[in-house]
Amino acid sequence: MSIALAKLLQLASPALPVGAYTYSQGLEWAVEAGTVKDEAGALRWIGDQLEWNLGRYEAPLLMRLMEAWKVGAHDTAIELDAEYLATRESAELRAETLQMGYSMKRLLHELGDFPQPLLDAIAVPPAPTFAYVWTCAAAAWQIPLQDALTAWLWSWAENQTMAALKAVPLGQAAGQRILQEIGRRIPAVVDRALALAEQEYSNFAPGFAIACCNHETQYTRLFRS
Amino acid sequence: MQVTEPISAPWQASLVLGFARRGDATILVRRDHRGPLRVQKALYPEGPEVCHAIVLHPPAGIAGGDQLDIRIEADAAAHALLTTPGAGKWYRSGGAQSSQQVHLKVGAGATVEWLPQESIVFSGAQATMRTTIELEQGARFTGVETICFGRRASGETLDRGRLKLATDIRADGWLLWRERGVIDGGSALMDSPIGLAGFSVCSTVLAAGREIEPETLRACRAVTAIEPGARCGVSVLPQLFVGRYLGHSAEAAREWFVALWQCLRPTIVGRDAIAPRIWNT
Repeated sequence: MSIALAKLLQLASPALPVGAYTYSQGLEWAVEAGTVKDEAGALRWIGDQLEWNLGRYEAPLLMRLMEAWKVGAHDTAIELDAEYLATRESAELRAETLQMGYSMKRLLHELGDFPQPLLDAIAVPPAPTFAYVWTCAAAAWQIPLQDALTAWLWSWAENQTMAALKAVPLGQAAGQRILQEIGRRIPAVVDRALALAEQEYSNFAPGFAIACCNHETQYTRLFRS
Repeated sequence: MQVTEPISAPWQASLVLGFARRGDATILVRRDHRGPLRVQKALYPEGPEVCHAIVLHPPAGIAGGDQLDIRIEADAAAHALLTTPGAGKWYRSGGAQSSQQVHLKVGAGATVEWLPQESIVFSGAQATMRTTIELEQGARFTGVETICFGRRASGETLDRGRLKLATDIRADGWLLWRERGVIDGGSALMDSPIGLAGFSVCSTVLAAGREIEPETLRACRAVTAIEPGARCGVSVLPQLFVGRYLGHSAEAAREWFVALWQCLRPTIVGRDAIAPRIWNT
């Protein structure tokens, strides 16, 4: 087993102390509103997010971030960080990536052996996004691009599925069926993201945006987004 | 032969408007046009400070291959409100791409309100709508973009064609907002709960350049859709207000916008919101 694979598993693990499990990204409101009420509904929501939102905007942007870090183009990475932040379309989504970015940045400091020049680069934006810090680590640990995108999307899907389990609620086996299906779809989403021209990027997801907005005032809630 | 669009050469139209503050008044100081895009005159329904202009596109619709380019510059402290006389129509295309580029440059302390009426995208259209807003120090912007996917009144859905959307707002060079949309007619995004969720009208309101106070946000949250079943939501980001609407009625979407604007305008520009009269004709 290579060191890069071990590092990849560490990055993708729910044990990564960035608090991902506290966010549902609008899914909790979709449950409240009756849009997601069973296993099929949860798979639809998560699968559509993967297909139409993350796969066509976030994943290609992460790819460009990884490439920038790999060649030491820190200015480009900072621009992409700002771009990522400008596409967070509600207060909670914005707060989520900034909190996770902050936690990830602190973690890299505490690991003890993360290269100082990269720690300096991470410190440039006063409030970096999670995508910015995470891709810095993935690039520094020499994780291949395709693997990094797969891991990002997988840990996102795992987190969404866990949110569905709690919010709907669903059983463990239902959660594993959802993850099995999402896992089948991820390779094609990654391949497309790697080849997607910038004119084809799309994060247009008004149903998702409205769910995220309305979550802000949801009366009973477990999640922070 | 199947006629897919009006048989005429595509239009390359452009309009450049410049607004400047002179004493207490905003004056339309520049008005250059090429092709069928025009502003007939400056209007002052709310006094000399705010210059209203109605952007006319006499062909009334955009056919395959048409390129519209609208550039609006408001100099320091000027205040311009722009709208259109009716719904914009994007006709079915035989394949040629049509585009509308709107570029707003808002000078220091100036305000631009870009409030076009809805855009109806016919099935089979090949449309690109690109909106770029640049705000200088202390500048303010309010905009609404309402899109009707297909002509629902005629029972048409957007089952073919493609719509591309691109919106950027920069304040002092800092990217405040970016959205990209690629919506293929008939694609699963149209029915997806994260996408259009089966609705045919989508409206987005953006108001930039001021921090939105909690009481203003509360008032905006209390605005509901008058159309049964429609969904809406609002959120506040640094220097930015975002509102989203999904429904089937462009009129209901406009009423929702006007209600939000009535909450937002007094705090953003210090004036009451009164819907332009041309919206009622």
